[in-house]
Parts: sequence; C-alpha cells; structure tokens
Amino acid sequence: LPAGLSQWFPALEVLDVSGTGLAEMGTELLSLPCLHTLLAKNNRLGGPGSLPKGLGQAPLARSLRVLNLSGNRFSEVPPELLRLRGLRSLSLGGNRLHSIPPDIQELQSLEFLYLGGNFITAIPPELAKLPSLRYLVLCDNKIQSIPPQLAQLHSLRSLSLHNNLLTYLPREILNLVHLEELSLRGNPLVVRFVRDLTYNPPSLQELAGRTVKTRNIPYTPSDLPESLVRYLSLASNCPNPKCGGVYFDSCVRQIKFVDFCGKYRLPLMHYLCSPECSSPYSSASQSSTSQSESDSEDEASVAAHRMQKVLLG
Amino acid sequence: FRYTRNLVDNGNGKFNLMILCWGEGHGSSIHDHTDSHCFMKILQGNLKETLFEWPEKKGNGEMTKKSERVLTENQCAYINDSIGLHRVENISHTEPAVSLHLYSPPFDTCNTFDQRTGHKHKVTMTFYSQFGERTVC
Repeated sequence: LPAGLSQWFPALEVLDVSGTGLAEMGTELLSLPCLHTLLAKNNRLGGPGSLPKGLGQAPLARSLRVLNLSGNRFSEVPPELLRLRGLRSLSLGGNRLHSIPPDIQELQSLEFLYLGGNFITAIPPELAKLPSLRYLVLCDNKIQSIPPQLAQLHSLRSLSLHNNLLTYLPREILNLVHLEELSLRGNPLVVRFVRDLTYNPPSLQELAGRTVKTRNIPYTPSDLPESLVRYLSLASNCPNPKCGGVYFDSCVRQIKFVDFCGKYRLPLMHYLCSPECSSPYSSASQSSTSQSESDSEDEASVAAHRMQKVLLG
Repeated sequence: FRYTRNLVDNGNGKFNLMILCWGEGHGSSIHDHTDSHCFMKILQGNLKETLFEWPEKKGNGEMTKKSERVLTENQCAYINDSIGLHRVENISHTEPAVSLHLYSPPFDTCNTFDQRTGHKHKVTMTFYSQFGERTVC
C-alpha cells in the first residue's frame, strides 16, 4: 500500500485492493480512522507482514466491519486479525487454512464467516461462542466431524457444510431452531445403520458404581474408601433424557437415523449410557421405557419436520 | 444466503426470463425442468453444470453423473427433460456469478433429487424479486 495513504484520504471508508498482487499490508492501514470495509481478495497475502502489527491498538480494530481476504495464500489465520473486535463479516475463502484458531471467539461481533475452499479438518468448539453468527460457510474443506457445541450458535440462519468428509452429524444439530438453510451434499454420510464397534465395555468398578447410583443404594463416607466416594460423585446422567441411567467413563456412541418423512435420512450421533439404553429394556426402571422410546422419537420427528424445510439438496 | 431468482419478463405468459444471482459457494439442487425448454447464459463469473441421468423407477442408489463442465462469461447452455437432470453451482470462493435464464413454457414447480438415493421431491419455486420489486413471501 502506498505510504501517505491516510494523509491523502483521511476519510476513507471503503478500500478495495483486490487483484493487485499485494503481498503485504503495512502500517499505512493503521492511521485510517474511518475505514469500515477492506477488500483484498485475490492477492498474494499470507506470509508474515500480511497484516500490520499493532492492529489491535489502531482505530481500525473498532471501525473495521467487513474484511475480505479470499483467494490469498493464508495457511493460518493471522493472530493480528483476531484483534479486530468490531468485525462483522470475514471471508477467508479459497486460502490454505488447515485449522480454525480457538481464539476466533474474540471476534464477538462476527455475523458472517466464510471459510469455504480451504483444508480445514476440524472445527474448534470455541467457534460456538460467537453469539451473533448468522451465516457460517465451511463447504469444500476436509471436515470429519461437527462438535455438538455448534448447536449453541443461537443466531445461526445458514450453515454450509457441503463437500466435506462428514459421516454423521451430532444429534444436537436438531437444536438449531432458527436455522433456515443447511447444505450437506457431497459428504460420505452413512446411509445404513452402523454400530460403533469401538465401544469399550465398562469396568467392574463402573458397573458397580452404576448399580449403586441407579438403585439408590445408601452409603456414607465412612462406608467406602475416599477414592470411591469421589468416584461415585462423578457419575454423569445418561444424555438420553428418558433413561434414568448413569455412566462414569464408558458411554456408547450410536448412530440413529432421523427420517425426513421417508425421503431423506440423516445419521445423527447419540451418546448413550449403554448399548441397551435405547431398547425397550434399559437399565433404568422398565415401566416407562417403551413410552419414553416413542416420546423421544416424537421429539426427534418434530425437529426433523422443521429441519426438512431447511435441508438444501 | 442462497442464490436468488429475479424475474425480469414473463413474455405474456409464454416464457419466464429471469436473472439468477449466485454468491460464493452457492449451488442448486439436482432438478428437472417440468417439460419446458431451458436456456441459460452466463452474464458474470463462472457456473459449473453437472448433468445426471434420470434415476431408475424405484431409485435406490447413487445417481449417475453424465458429465460436467464449467461455463464461463457469455457462454450459453440448454437443457430439457429428455436430455436429463442437472445441478448448477458457483464453485468460486471469491467471485459471485450472475446468469440469465429463459424457460418456455414457464413453470413454477419442479422435482429436486437426492444425489445419494435418487429420491425425488416436488418443490415450488419462488422469486426473490419480480420486475425489480422484492417479492415478500
């Protein structure tokens, strides 16, 4: 960028330097107090010096709303970028990113995030800490799984996941009640029921602990070694809300298919306390299990109905 | 957040002429053309067209790709149901695309197809705008 930029154009609000072969943007940016849109796509940015140091202290950190760095050579998100606290729209499409930094959560004003066409393999759960995120594009990457925390993105309207390496989705995806669009094509989603074969059977200690908890066997700290008292306090409730079971370290991942009225089946990953949890005879009391089984299927099909309109082919 | 369909002219009921605006990464489903002629011209950017065979009657397998090509600015394409089905997408992550479409006779419903299974699903198509005015659903 030419030196003296901020002297000649102190009121500059929009700067488009796309397709100019730019390899670095330096301190000339730091003294532009009114800049809200910076478009620098299709350049040679990506090395050190792509963004100026001291960005966090510059007026730009609060004024910049839109940043487009698509079609460059970034192999990682530059840390300086994460100081742009006012940023609403960020595009890093068509770069060479292999990961998303957890500190992406610092961009608290972010509404639009485009990361399509990179080499991203995983999504950090911290991405879910962006309360205003409405539009998230992760298509054409190498993503193998979606963290269930992503369902905490309450503002999410559009999620683009097409052309990745997803075999299943977390069942929490049904919680995104405001989602209007979801693209999943071009993923190797399993179409047939696949039991997770890496389930490790629980230890004897775990089985004993489960029995103590589910049968409400009374005990006092003087009845057991301190280590076992502590162990018993760590019991987690089975995520299946209709199962009264608990687990300690051993839980089953099971794929259940949510049927979109017979037209499209989505494999959703459920976490359960045991392989028997979803069957009519679970480890909890037997009185309500077949009812609870169909209740949770009803919840799933209500959510499925909503999602059916959302799925893009 | 998806490509938009913007009606420009309805040719006294004989055809629909519309402009489609595709953001980065936007694509259509696999669809048919309800027995109409369909012409497409690229006005800006590039669009990838993937042609598919019609699925078997009781479609229950991955749909068969016939061919694919990238159409560049000013190129034209034509399709009708006897040629097959297609998916159109803007595969660019940096540039939007704009295309001009002519459908004759006009139609407002078509079938979309699930690529993995060949299952079809009838949909009603809507316009984002008509004659320059935003269409509110």
